[in-house]
Amino acid sequence: MSELKIQNLVKNFQGMDRPAVNNVNLDINSGQLVAFLGPSGCGKTTILKMITGLFQPDNGNITLDNESLLPIPTEKRGVVMVFQNYLLFPYMNVNENVGFALKMKGVDKKTIDERVKEMLDLVKLPDIGLRKPKQLSGGQQQRVALARALIASPRLLLLDEPLSNLDAHLRDEMRELILTIQQKLNVTTIFVTHDQEEAVLLADKIALIFDGELQNYTSPKNYYEKPKNIKAAKFFGGVNFVKADFTDNKIQSEIGFCEYEGDNISNLNKKLFLTIRPENIKISKNTEFDHNSYQGEITSVIFSGTHTRYKINVNNVNLECSLQSVGIDNIKESDKVFIHLPKDKIWGMND
Amino acid sequence: MGGERLKIILSLTPPLLIIITLFFGGIFYGFLQSLGYQPAIGKYELNFSAYYNVMFSERYAKLFWSGLALNLWVSFASTFLAAVFALFGALAIRKTFIGKTLCNFIYSLNLPMPHLVVAVGMIFVFSQSGLLARLAAQIGMISSPGDFPVLVKDKYGFGIILAYIWKEAAFFFIILMSVLQSLGENFEELAQSLGANRWQRFRYVILPLVMPNLFSASIIVFAFSFGAYEVPALLGVIYPQMLPVMAFEFFLNPDLNARSEGMALSIIIALIVMILVVFYFWLTQAKIRKD
Repeated sequence: MSELKIQNLVKNFQGMDRPAVNNVNLDINSGQLVAFLGPSGCGKTTILKMITGLFQPDNGNITLDNESLLPIPTEKRGVVMVFQNYLLFPYMNVNENVGFALKMKGVDKKTIDERVKEMLDLVKLPDIGLRKPKQLSGGQQQRVALARALIASPRLLLLDEPLSNLDAHLRDEMRELILTIQQKLNVTTIFVTHDQEEAVLLADKIALIFDGELQNYTSPKNYYEKPKNIKAAKFFGGVNFVKADFTDNKIQSEIGFCEYEGDNISNLNKKLFLTIRPENIKISKNTEFDHNSYQGEITSVIFSGTHTRYKINVNNVNLECSLQSVGIDNIKESDKVFIHLPKDKIWGMND
Repeated sequence: MGGERLKIILSLTPPLLIIITLFFGGIFYGFLQSLGYQPAIGKYELNFSAYYNVMFSERYAKLFWSGLALNLWVSFASTFLAAVFALFGALAIRKTFIGKTLCNFIYSLNLPMPHLVVAVGMIFVFSQSGLLARLAAQIGMISSPGDFPVLVKDKYGFGIILAYIWKEAAFFFIILMSVLQSLGENFEELAQSLGANRWQRFRYVILPLVMPNLFSASIIVFAFSFGAYEVPALLGVIYPQMLPVMAFEFFLNPDLNARSEGMALSIIIALIVMILVVFYFWLTQAKIRKD
């Protein structure tokens, strides 16, 4: 169990007009599973490589259990990385691949054999020890790569896009396996992904990174309900953004006065944006709601099976609402409706 | 379908004709000569006496076996050392640094250079009357150029080995650079994160990854240096003499009967190289089957 702290981390590369990683700060508690989420080229893997020691930061510090990792060479950090393309040594069989880290430590053959067996059992591949990597499927290669990392009993496990090369059905299986193993071994784990669904399903906390900067670092639930800014909200499917002014503890938005219960009210600027998930907006054709009730016109109706998506124009602001298809009123395009943004579901952001 | 087949046959025919003509017209006729078949001087009988003479007669046996030993030593040593130098050069140069392009160029410079020029260069630089000997004498390291160690035209073939290292390291270097660049550094980074130190990364990661290409290149270099004539002719001594030089001297012999010995020697050289190549293919095929 290890606690990782990243402080003011900066990394520049020649030829880039911005830092690859710009002043990133975050703390990861022992045993947590954290996702670094962001689009390609945003600096996620660069941070991972600085944690392993494969890149040296230009500024900042990385500590593991209050000890700076920077002066420690990669091979002695106890930080093991599983690469995106598995990188099983093609000239070794599965047993040799999995036992690699112990062989490098000079552990005796008998112990290596026992531990290899244990690890292959853990990843549910007990009978493939003598096969060569090219005789394995993508999913099997990923499991072997995971076993090879875990045999080293890492203080910190880093997974670079662990599911990106797998088919959809293998992804679910592998996701389940990573989660089970991580909980069983309680190893502090960071994984990199550009897939928000994957991050939400796996991670205790998500660090959202854009252009080398940490945008938000919080639980998956908060990204949906309490995003830090518009970028973070949009990455998680947020579509409703309403400009507002915050004066005298009251919020006046471009669609009207707004009652607000968010716990960040003391941190809000004078100018802000309000957001609400499409599934939290309520619609009624006839009844006005008791608070945050606004009148608008339906501009489009898109039926998508279990849910129906409505686009509503409210005071020249476009909002989207998603309702379960079963049991709703017959609402059509051009209908005038009342919409309700519940005060406990609406969230204010400074930018 | 028929048109496709005809196209394939037509495109394969010219190179096949050249290979077949050279092989059967040249080498096969040479083989016949090595068996004593020389119609020009009225010899039609086929036997192995030229082979026997070269390998076991009192006159040539010592020359042959010492020459073969020198051949094997020079080819193994030069191939191995050229591969080692090229490997370390490629490992150093593949990292990005200022002057990388220049280093790359210097390392590859020898490739288009003819072997003859390299051999003459060796004489200019490493012989007892060469630049290094004179420089060492000038700065007082040795009392006269004649005290400089014999590195060219020496009985151990050091000069020949040096020339081959100088020349063939460039060939190894280019092959290794392309292999290392295609592999990238991910395997090493992975091994490092799994606890491998610098030596372990070289021993357990780089070496096994480059070995198949290094081995193939070594076979080519070994086969070439085993059968090449010009460098040993310029940088070698009269005794022991490398086999290609010995073979050529048989051809220069005014006695036409000696041609059979010369051809027998050439066939022996070709056979040794062919055995090596067959062994190499057998090894690679066995590895493929095992995988």
